This record gives sequence, C-alpha cells and structure tokens, in this order.
Amino acid sequence: MPLLRSLALCAVTAMAVACSSPTPRHGVALEPALPRPSFTLTDTRGQPFEFRKETRGLLTFLFFGYTNCPDVCPVHVQNVAAVLHTLSFEDQQQARFVFVTADPARDSLRVLRAWLDHFDKSFIGLRGEDADVARIMGAIGLPPVMRGAPGANGWYEVGHPATVIVFTADDSAHVLYPFGTRQADWAEDIPRLLRVRPLKGD
Amino acid sequence: MQWWCSASGKPWTWDAQYYPGVWLMVAVLAFAFHVWSRRGRAMGESRLVYWAGWSAVGLVWQVLDWPIGPLAAGYLASAHAVQFLSLALLSPPLILLAVRKPLAASMPERGGVRRALNIVTQPVIAGVLFNLVAIITHVPVVVDTLMPTQFGAFVIDIAWLAGGCVLWWPIVVEAPARPWFSVPVRMLYLFLSTLFHTGIAMVMLLRDFPMYGIYELAPPWPVWSPLEDQHLAGGVMELAGAAVIFSIITVMFFRWSGGVAGDVAPPAPPRD
Repeated sequence: MPLLRSLALCAVTAMAVACSSPTPRHGVALEPALPRPSFTLTDTRGQPFEFRKETRGLLTFLFFGYTNCPDVCPVHVQNVAAVLHTLSFEDQQQARFVFVTADPARDSLRVLRAWLDHFDKSFIGLRGEDADVARIMGAIGLPPVMRGAPGANGWYEVGHPATVIVFTADDSAHVLYPFGTRQADWAEDIPRLLRVRPLKGD
Repeated sequence: MQWWCSASGKPWTWDAQYYPGVWLMVAVLAFAFHVWSRRGRAMGESRLVYWAGWSAVGLVWQVLDWPIGPLAAGYLASAHAVQFLSLALLSPPLILLAVRKPLAASMPERGGVRRALNIVTQPVIAGVLFNLVAIITHVPVVVDTLMPTQFGAFVIDIAWLAGGCVLWWPIVVEAPARPWFSVPVRMLYLFLSTLFHTGIAMVMLLRDFPMYGIYELAPPWPVWSPLEDQHLAGGVMELAGAAVIFSIITVMFFRWSGGVAGDVAPPAPPRD
C-alpha cells in the first residue's frame, strides 16, 4: 500500500508539474532559443529605442510588418491585442508588443502611431532605414523584406516574414508564431509564456 | 471566375463578382417554382401567397449572390447568419406555401417516393434532420474545412435550404396527412425544432474568442472586429430567428383559436 500511495503521489505531482509547465502549446519551437537581440531604432515619439534594454525581462512580441498590409499584419496584431486586453493589469504591464516597419518609405512615425493606436495605444512602433531593418532581421535569422513592383496607383506590396517572435522573461525566444495563430491559441499560450522566470543574476 | 462563393482569403473589395453556379441554381429554383406555383394559382392559391413565394426565391438569390454570398463565405459570420436565417427559416415556408396544393395533389399513393416522403416529412424525423443540419454546419472544424472550397460552401448553402424545406414541410404542406399533428402540436414542433439553433446562437454570443478561423483570419473588415462580428451573428440568429419563429407561432395560435371558437359556436342560419 505505501508503494501504491507513493506511485499515486508521484503521478499527481507529475500531472501538476505538467499542467503548470510554461511550455507553450502552439507556435513553432526555436531550437536553440534565440537570444533577445540588441538594436536601436526610432520609436513613434522620435526617440531612440534600445530594444534589448527597454524590453529586458518582459514578455515581448516582435513583429516586422507594414501598415499598408491588407491581410497578415492587421490580423496578427489584432489577434495578439485582443488577447492581451483580456489579461489582468499586472500581466499587461509585463508584456510589450513591438512592431518594426518593413516599409519605412510609406510608414512615417505618425502613420505608424495612428495605425498601432487602432489596436492598442501601448504598442510600440519602430522605424529605421531599410539597411538597418535588413541587418536586424538577418541577425535574428529572418528572411529579408521583398518589395513588389508598384501598380498603376503607385501601391506596392511588401513581402515580409509573417511570424511573431516572442521573447520571454529569460530574454530568449523559444517559440515563434506564424500567421494562422488564433486568438484562442494566444489565450492559451500567453499565460504560459508569462510564467517563464528571468535567468538568475538578471 | 468562381462558380460559387467561397472563402478566398483576399482583401474584400466592392467590385462586383459573378457566380454562374448561383445563377444556375437560382434559375432552376425559379423555373420549378414558376411551374408549380402556376398550378397552385389554378388550384385557388391566393395572389399574396404567390408573390410571397416569388419574394422568397428572390431572397435565396440575394443571399447567395454578390455581395452577401462572398461576404458570408469568407469575411463576416454575421452575413453567414443572415444567410442561414434566409435559407433555412424564411424562404422555405414561403416557397412551400405557394406550391403546397399541387405538391399535395401530386403525392404518389404508393411506391418508393411515397415511402421516402412519409419518412422524411414525419415531424420527429424532420425536426431531427433539420437540427442535425443546423448543428453540423455550425461546427467550427466543419465550417473551416468546407467554406474555403466552392463545393464545400455550396454543400452548406444547399443543406440549409433543403433542411429548411424538410423542417417546414410537415407544417405547410400537410401531406401525407397526419391527424395527430394538430395545430398545437405543430406549434410545439416548431418551438422544439428551433431550440438547438438558439443554442448555437448562444454559444456564438458567449464565446470570448472567435470560433471560426475563416472569419478570424480573413483580411480585416474595417467596421468591426471578428469577435464583435461573431456576437452580431449570434444576435442575428437569436433575435431574428426567434422573431420569425414566434411570429409564425403567434399567427398559428390566433388562427387556431379563431377556428376553435368558430367550431364551438357556429353562426346561426338566418331565419325568414
């Protein structure tokens, strides 16, 4: 009987550990984890924004897109925003959404701010020169931005990675979320990602 | 060119789209209705019922064709709810009402068709069939699998129209005759048969996140978010559906109570 009781206790403990594990259930796992990158771009107030310093220890959603995007960008940003709005105030304070424009020619700081405000006024918009953005994306391991040929009205598409990279409190990204991630998926994963603890010594 | 509206994943534009499959299907429906409703008129069906039937055919066309058809197929759950109400709850009774007399008159006395009609229009079976169609075609995995394909979207639309005809047949056509299926039982049948779709509407209203991937991940609709759209869809199904059903139940009740009163106290014959 003591053996049975011990086994049952072990099983319950294992289940409890599994249930409280911060491992996300959706997205694509990054092996090895991606360290939080260090770069500086201009935020929508016109101030330099040091990404690593400003977001250290926080759950950070990093996305490269453009405000004229007709489909992927607004849906991705809307879905993250919708779920972040359901979190408690304390949890919301632990999260940052950083949108880096892949189309600086059309996305002025004012345009960027107005577009992000449509989703959440706390979302951070960053802008830099094409070469700077390309260097940052290359360092992270993302494919480069591709600009389509302009149409008759001058409008052009921008090909960009449709993934949101999520850095957790340990200053690493363990998972990225491709387009198609649903709000219900985010709602399941964000609380888990918030439970990742900072590295010792930070 | 697409032959039927389906979820394309492309940003919505107000440029008109053409769907030959919708036109063909509506043309077949209109031709069949024309033939049968003329017979109905010849058998004494009123002009109002005749034109109400044509309005229902027009409604079927409107909700399947541009712009409601493609909006419902790939952008707005609320447009999909309007389609469901129109195809399953509004159009079938009006179409059947205009053709009920010739349908009843041409009912075969025996044979396979008669046996099949006996089974399918048996009220319990009809109610179960309608609810099965309503539930299955609202399961998220079914919607997300079928709606991106033209054939899948066609199957859902036709299933709603056919399910609606099956639901309304026992009430409107009254053939095969079933003496036990009195007006109070019909009112109860109608109420019970539409309880499940009310349940579906409640689920859509109460969910915290969008249920259907095709609407959640579709290029955004500028006016409202996917969740607001889902709540609107639930509201349309709940309120407009209830309005349709309870209006009809109310009309049935007053006609029945008037008929009962007439039976109890027939007018006295005039005396010379």
